[in-house]
Amino acid sequence: MFARSVLRKALALPFEQTPSSTTLFRATLSTTTSTSTSTSPNPESPLSASPRAQFNNPTHQQHQPPVTPSSAASTPASTPYTTPQTSSHIPTHKQPLAPTFEAPLKVTSSLLELLPHLTAQRAHYITAHVHAKPYLVTAGDHLRLPFLMANVQPGDVIRLNRASVIGSRDFTLKGKPYIDERMFECRARVVGVDSEPMRYKEKTKRRQRHVRTIKSKERYTMLRIMDVKVKTKEELVQEGAVVVEGQDQATLEVKS
Amino acid sequence: MPVQGIRTVAAARNGVGAFILPCKRMDFHYCDWAGSSRGMVSFLKSALPSFAKANPQIEIRVSPRPHKHPVIKGHYINGREKAICVRNLEPEQIFKKANLLKEASGEKLKRTKKPVTSINDSVRGIWSPYHGDIKTV
Amino acid sequence: MKRLQLQRWSSSVLSPRVRTGSRLQHHLYTGLRCQSTFSPVPQAENEPLTHEQPPVSPIPSPNSQKSKYTLPSPPVEAARESAKLAALHARLYLPSRLPLETLARSLVDASADPNSNFNNASLATLGHDLLTYYTSEHLICTYPRLPMAVVFAAMYAYVGPKTLAAMTREWGVEHAATPGGEVDPGFLQFKRIDPGTEIGEGQVNGTTRPNDHRRWRVSMSSRVVYDNEFGEPVQDPTKNDGLPRPLPQGVTAEQASANFVRAVMGSIYLHAGRPAAKRFFEQHFLSRHLSLTELFDFSQPARDLSRLCARESFEPPVAKIISETGRKSRHPVFVVGIYSGEDKLGEGAGASLLEARSRAAVAALKGWYLYSPLNVRVPSSTEEESSAPWKPVHVDLGEVIV
Repeated sequence: MFARSVLRKALALPFEQTPSSTTLFRATLSTTTSTSTSTSPNPESPLSASPRAQFNNPTHQQHQPPVTPSSAASTPASTPYTTPQTSSHIPTHKQPLAPTFEAPLKVTSSLLELLPHLTAQRAHYITAHVHAKPYLVTAGDHLRLPFLMANVQPGDVIRLNRASVIGSRDFTLKGKPYIDERMFECRARVVGVDSEPMRYKEKTKRRQRHVRTIKSKERYTMLRIMDVKVKTKEELVQEGAVVVEGQDQATLEVKS
Repeated sequence: MPVQGIRTVAAARNGVGAFILPCKRMDFHYCDWAGSSRGMVSFLKSALPSFAKANPQIEIRVSPRPHKHPVIKGHYINGREKAICVRNLEPEQIFKKANLLKEASGEKLKRTKKPVTSINDSVRGIWSPYHGDIKTV
Repeated sequence: MKRLQLQRWSSSVLSPRVRTGSRLQHHLYTGLRCQSTFSPVPQAENEPLTHEQPPVSPIPSPNSQKSKYTLPSPPVEAARESAKLAALHARLYLPSRLPLETLARSLVDASADPNSNFNNASLATLGHDLLTYYTSEHLICTYPRLPMAVVFAAMYAYVGPKTLAAMTREWGVEHAATPGGEVDPGFLQFKRIDPGTEIGEGQVNGTTRPNDHRRWRVSMSSRVVYDNEFGEPVQDPTKNDGLPRPLPQGVTAEQASANFVRAVMGSIYLHAGRPAAKRFFEQHFLSRHLSLTELFDFSQPARDLSRLCARESFEPPVAKIISETGRKSRHPVFVVGIYSGEDKLGEGAGASLLEARSRAAVAALKGWYLYSPLNVRVPSSTEEESSAPWKPVHVDLGEVIV
């Protein structure tokens, strides 16, 4: 299982101070929606490689200024030479869904008691699952996914929201089977696409002299883990976590 | 001097903070006369402006190379370059090749078995045989 | 020599063949410049050729092809036409308020163009101050007990010239073979030092330190005062030890690259403001990986640890064997812990008891020195409006003095 969601928070904060440039910036972003699969790499969006998810209010998509010089570049082009850059290029049924939560996050009081120990101990690792495969990563790691991820560009930031284990040196937060995605943040940046050297396989059949050589060259998406962060107790409570008694989904263990 | 400092250089981690696209320059070579460049010429006329506009961080050079097949070359920030011959290709195929060069990291292609490469220290430490009690099975 | 076919055809590098004037001297000079792929040697017979460049850049008349050759660095209006420069601007995600002309100016080293209105010396000075300020406040607030020698080493690792030169490569900036008015402004332009010149790396005669000629022992506290941010002695321009050493004509590629990165930082600060400069610093410099534990070099860790325990009024450290194996064998392993009273300060394993003890002492010292508080805040975070007032942070005494 793999799901992508947008960065709600500013990774690299927006740059504008003057209101005029802010409106221009929103205009460039208005063609993108909340699906994170677009880049608008223009000098209008300085110092951040992924500036798009800052103002993803749906209200901004309603009134769209028709022509600004930089939004003209990202309008859906009719030529076949474009990779899908904005969500308008992608069919609606293929767009990733924004996460919806019916119930608030439930944490047990025993977990809340131990959670400050985990958050205070630096250097966390996370076992993030992408397409049901686990990857044990820390912040700054380079991750080569064994597949080519669709609809991403180099520079995009995706959020890995499925994890089974988060831990520090002495503490481990284990999910059953997964940790609720509201308890942590793990972001990764798409760095590019790698491929392997061409592999040749000789296919033979019995009593036949014919040898068929098949070639294959897989392509892989490369990620760079930007940060691994466990939310603190205060952040969880502020975001509406409910303290319950009894068995929880996740357990926090201390190394013996 | 009780303690001295050792001088090193902090290692780069492209993408953790800022992201620099590894492809820094692309050269498009074509021939005006030869038939193998027909798709390349129409690509240069129709699609290259939009490609350049979509990727402002790549410097694009277009230059004729008479009596040779058309070639796209990508130059990368690690100093390497990748060249793809695009003879007799259609403009759509050439666009795919240009996109491939844009997304590549510039490294030599290697077969790797481990998905994760890390330069950080191990978070939980390294197992030691001298610590802990003897476990009874 | 390999022909540069591409450069000849390229539109982005101005070809010297379109030049109009065909004086022999000019031809020789530009020919030399175009053919050289490495640093050219200004020989004695070339001197009259290079004298054509005036020391002060005049305001060039636009659209005059010939005036470009008389300039020491590219004219200002060439910045708008350079594909390389625009690509660099977009690659670094520089703010649009930072114009291409300033970026072009930050690529011109002072050795290429001595006119301070056209080179990056002033921007580099500002950028260097900003970089060292941000780095030092980050280091001191994050690791308040770091010894001064390690602070110097960490400063060097984050914003030292070697790191900045590596960043220039990672940004995809190429060096021009020789500076000049006809060169694409997207190249880093500097005058290279002549091959065979002695590079006085770290050798400074005549520093700002008083009583320098007496060769007194240099203490760490005096290095904080007199030396620069990397712990290197500072050359005093007024003193030169009586040796009439001529100033070097060029700079190394490392120095020029470092000046370029500093100038970019300075120009972001000037054009886009303080928050942008701070963010640029965090994204490009602080995001690099530096393991501070590898910067320590102890000579006598056990002695340092006992001094430290005495200073902090802990109980004196005692080394105890935790476990051992194969004492009589060829490969014994001892695991030694250092205890102060009941508390274990550190632990180390080694092939002899002394080795294990010194490793344990190193672990204990690193554990002390690398303490980091939880919510780190730096003084420059109060510069923004509506930020919380500054609360003084704890900064320790530093290393023990033995």
